Amino acid sequence: MEEDQGLFADRPEWADVVPIEQYEGAPPIAPIFYTPEYKDATNYFRGIIKTGEKSPRVLDLTENIIRQNPAHYSAWQYRYKTLMALNAPLDAELELMDELAVTYLKTYQVWHYRRLLVQQSNNPEPELAFIANALRRDAKNYHTWSYRQWILAHFNDDALWRGELAFVEHMLDSDLRNNSAWHHRFFVVFQSGVREGDEDRDAVLRRELTFVKTKIATAPNNASAWNYLRGMLDHSKTPYSILRSFVGPYSVPHPEQHEVPLEDVVDLENPLPSPGAQLPCVAAIEFLADIYETTGGDDLMKAIELWKSLAHEHDTMRKKYWEYRIKEALQNVR
Amino acid sequence: MDSLSPLATGAHATHCERCLLGLPSSQVDIDPSKMALAFYCLGSLDLTGQFANESTKAQNKEGWRQWIWEQQIKGPCGTGFRPGNYMSTSGEDTNYSESSENSPHIILTYTALLSLAILRDDFSQLDRPGIIKVLRACQNEDGSFSSEPYGGDADVRTTYCAFVISSMLDDWSGVRLESALRFIAACRSYEGGYGQVPFAEAAGGPTYCALASIFLAGKGSCLTDRERKQTIRWLTQNQVSPGGYCGRTNKEADACYCFWCGASLLILGAREFVCELSLCKFIASCQFKYGGISKAPKEHPDPYHTYLALAAVAMYPPSNSAELSWKLEPLDPLLNANVATSDWARKYIPSRS
Repeated sequence: MEEDQGLFADRPEWADVVPIEQYEGAPPIAPIFYTPEYKDATNYFRGIIKTGEKSPRVLDLTENIIRQNPAHYSAWQYRYKTLMALNAPLDAELELMDELAVTYLKTYQVWHYRRLLVQQSNNPEPELAFIANALRRDAKNYHTWSYRQWILAHFNDDALWRGELAFVEHMLDSDLRNNSAWHHRFFVVFQSGVREGDEDRDAVLRRELTFVKTKIATAPNNASAWNYLRGMLDHSKTPYSILRSFVGPYSVPHPEQHEVPLEDVVDLENPLPSPGAQLPCVAAIEFLADIYETTGGDDLMKAIELWKSLAHEHDTMRKKYWEYRIKEALQNVR
Repeated sequence: MDSLSPLATGAHATHCERCLLGLPSSQVDIDPSKMALAFYCLGSLDLTGQFANESTKAQNKEGWRQWIWEQQIKGPCGTGFRPGNYMSTSGEDTNYSESSENSPHIILTYTALLSLAILRDDFSQLDRPGIIKVLRACQNEDGSFSSEPYGGDADVRTTYCAFVISSMLDDWSGVRLESALRFIAACRSYEGGYGQVPFAEAAGGPTYCALASIFLAGKGSCLTDRERKQTIRWLTQNQVSPGGYCGRTNKEADACYCFWCGASLLILGAREFVCELSLCKFIASCQFKYGGISKAPKEHPDPYHTYLALAAVAMYPPSNSAELSWKLEPLDPLLNANVATSDWARKYIPSRS
């Protein structure tokens, strides 16, 4: 990080550059009342662009501007061109970016620039650890996750993919409702080709079913887990009805203590909701109704009863949606 | 029915007018997207009927129009609007080149055109063939569009802007449609929403961009019945307690997603699934007492959330509400503009030869 050396206008080594003020033509929309430091740096930047200079001091200047305004598109772009022209070492630049990216996580430019650098360096290996660190600051940051998906898909190296499932589980351990982590799991398991050891797709499906059931048992009211479950069944064209016995206990209130059968054998295939869970679970009722609707016949009435219970009791904000489901199902019968 | 506090339209308009007059140095990050801010501010004034009284705003309108036209910039890859004058060095720099760091931007070209329509410009200065040329230059091999002719990020937002510009021009010759639609389809996620780029998580904004693009191109039939239903399910699921929409599964409600998700449902012909009263109550709670609307209660307001919240209200006013303040100008969900503005754009932006 550069030391505070005051205004560029006061620095002897910048005396040869002619600063250029921002041109104001028509009264501007939403003029920004710039600080003197920002005005100074951007005046010199406009001066530099006019002459086309690409020298080490341009790196100082653009860093100064970026620290004042990380969204300054042109400063990023010109910095990149300068770096390329100078053939400057990319690892030092990435190190600086490690710091800037974590400070300005929500800025597009930071991530776009990083992509350009890594494409140049062709060394994606340190990136996964960097991303994991950035996610510690903001576990659902959209840019950060997209960047991870890009690194994996773009370089598509077995060594990069190897730790991804463990990484997702680690992220879900700290927040089971982190949809970005669930999405990433779907991307890794189903959307990005077949990984080493995952050639038996039926086995993968069974593994994922067990995984998602366990997570639902821990926290039933978790839309991310249910969406993942639906997504994987749709993707593999597996009927929802294979989950009928699993879903049942989630779609009703907790049984009274004395009603719980004394079982010696725990059904590992169908883990029960955790004792403290809030039941019935809306997503389970919806899922069960979908199963009944597909079966049709007498089961259709069961589906309608479930939708009614959602419309009038468990999910009243979506009343009109559940009523539409009823209407539509009845229309399809006729 | 629970009571709904009034929508402070006058105060929200004032918030946006203040921003048009100037921003503090802490908002310097707005510079590279100034043209978008202009649209959110002008759009808010439009939806709250501030331009109805011609005489009061005439002078301002003329100045704003002039400033926007100064940002139309021409060069080897075609014509478009740049973000603003922050890299401008003289009145003569109305041309760009690869080295000028001053190139047109697709997203901001869309917001400039719409802002000019709000200001009822006649578009006699518009370089139509140049705009078509820049769209062509920005489309990539995979069907996506880069935001600028010499690079920039490419995602479904830029696709939407390229589509909406083509639709307003009534000229699609700048777009290779089949490959653009394939890119959109690749952004679809297992949840039923769309991500910003292929493989990314489903989110409200990209979902709006994807659906609006498909329907602007008249390709609604591309979606299978199953896909349409799955998308409606996901969008409906995003209306969460206390009534607003979240942008992604298991996230908090945010005023801007009331627009992105609400408009998506409207485009899909599923407006009846929006619980208007809950939505409006949530937006009421996001109002800042000195004007402006924020993303969530007790946050700071900004023109982006103010405009999108107002646009959501324009689509979904609370039914049977005694509060007349919630009745805004009607909205065209595909262009994201007041219907009268959208009609103006469609009349004056196309070439008349």
